[in-house]
Amino acid sequence: MKIITERFDLKLKCGVRFCGGCNPRYDRGRALEKIKDYFKDRIEFSYAKEDVDYDILLVIGGCTNNCASFSQFNSKLGSIKMWSEDHIDKVIEELEGILLKSN
Amino acid sequence: MLMTGEQYIESLRKLKTRVYMFGEKVENWVDHPIIRPSINSVAMTYELAHDPQYEDLMTAKSNLTGEKVNRFSHLHQSTEDLVKKVKMQRLLGQKTGSCFQRCVGMDAFNAVYSTTYDIDKKYGTDYHKRFVDYLKYVQEEDLTVDGAMTDPKGDRSKAPSAQEDKDLYLHVVEKREDGIVVRGAKAHQTGSINSHEHLIMPTIALREEDKAYAVSFAVPSDAEGLFMIYGRQSCDTRKLEEGADIDLGNKKFGGQEALVVFDDVFVPNERVFMCEEYDFAGVLVERFAGYHRQSYGGCKVGVGDVLIGAAALAADYNGVNKASHIKDKLIEMTHLNETLYCCGIACSSEGYPTEAGNYQIDMLLANVCKQNVTRFPYEIVRLAEDIAGGLMVTMPSEQDFRSDLKVGKNGETIGEICNKYLVGSPAATTEERMRVLRLIENLALGTAAVGYRTESMHGAGSPQAQRIMIARQGNIEAKKELAKVIAGIKKN
Repeated sequence: MKIITERFDLKLKCGVRFCGGCNPRYDRGRALEKIKDYFKDRIEFSYAKEDVDYDILLVIGGCTNNCASFSQFNSKLGSIKMWSEDHIDKVIEELEGILLKSN
Repeated sequence: MLMTGEQYIESLRKLKTRVYMFGEKVENWVDHPIIRPSINSVAMTYELAHDPQYEDLMTAKSNLTGEKVNRFSHLHQSTEDLVKKVKMQRLLGQKTGSCFQRCVGMDAFNAVYSTTYDIDKKYGTDYHKRFVDYLKYVQEEDLTVDGAMTDPKGDRSKAPSAQEDKDLYLHVVEKREDGIVVRGAKAHQTGSINSHEHLIMPTIALREEDKAYAVSFAVPSDAEGLFMIYGRQSCDTRKLEEGADIDLGNKKFGGQEALVVFDDVFVPNERVFMCEEYDFAGVLVERFAGYHRQSYGGCKVGVGDVLIGAAALAADYNGVNKASHIKDKLIEMTHLNETLYCCGIACSSEGYPTEAGNYQIDMLLANVCKQNVTRFPYEIVRLAEDIAGGLMVTMPSEQDFRSDLKVGKNGETIGEICNKYLVGSPAATTEERMRVLRLIENLALGTAAVGYRTESMHGAGSPQAQRIMIARQGNIEAKKELAKVIAGIKKN
């Protein structure tokens, strides 16, 4: 049981912040699901909270304005931003790069 | 504490709000089929605050407590806050397809906050502290508050004190050591029954002889002496029909207005935020109206999004979606809707801090915003009706579609006949076609037309009120100077 816990702690922690979704040009929730599906259990995704330390933040905007606030969250490696469905591959690439470095 | 939608609905049950409709007292108004859709709309302002996909718009950090609060009880701290307010309103218009009613409270908070600061500065009163304490309570309890401004006004050619019936404007009738007693009414009150509290403001700029009418205060919606008479809406009694669904157009959501009567209501001193400071009545009205004219650049746009979507679906279901004139009409509707949004965003982006610290919108642009709102939704509706076709108002009822009464020579039922003759393209079933046409009917001339059409005209002030403000803010003299320079006119 202890080993499992330690393994869990080693996973990359990614805080997710959505913009407020007033007029999104794509399904932001589905985009996150695709990214989560790709990484399966290699990255721990959770909705960003102010009292949690994350390795990286994923900021998902619904349009080019990408107005989501995220400076209130703690992240060791900064943030990755996306505002289009076309950015999913780029986000995956960037997260893979971070995983590679952290290993 | 942020309430959920369900907690909000349950919290209403604890109130003893007095509500009358069709000449009778409504005992269980929370579950009344005519009222409940409007409660569901307000509940969405609570529900979406818990959804990570909408939280960034729906919540903010309170400058008063440092806690996360619903944006509807927030004091705008930046132009970004003002922009997010408009975006939040668009979002809620999209999610409810109706008026979600909670904006009036938010706009009142911001107007009263800065105005009480200014009153205290001039008169040494302590209204601002009282109001801050009150707003902390509202934020902590996550309450819905009706910001109530519009008096019945009687004979419009006469000032409040010159009216034959002095109660046609809400006024102070008694000043006691521990508070005041007020009498009068507020008309067209959006969401009043669904609100935990009422925050009252004067309705016009006032002179000294009208100082009894210069009053701002807050009371619980079930305060002794306070009651509401429900405002009926076009097609409202369809909601009373057994099993009503399709014919309602929008079964779950709706708006609400009422006449709110103050029959000698006592207000304790700590809830009084203006009392006879008549020289600030106009300032408060102007600020509230400014915020509310900004609001329409968000909420009506969201409802417009739903209507444009419905018109596009109707085109699909009618099999005319490829016609160039239909495509062009949808483009025009979008253009008009986004123009309103541009105005809402622009007056927010050009906002500025008040002396009290919260942010006010750009007054000229907010009035231009609302002036456009008095026109564009009508044109958007006209185009939606054009695309939908006459069936949206001639269609048999859903009971007919479901009827198994045999009426045809070959034993066809009324339902079969309706389905046979009112079928559209293969893109949709007859029921789906009915549903979208009823939604357009609901927004164009049914219960939701109150919010989308006439409220667009008169809510937050009728068109002429905006034109007066545009004239004041328009800076014509500076424009003349510009023209003189270009034209080579040297005369001052």
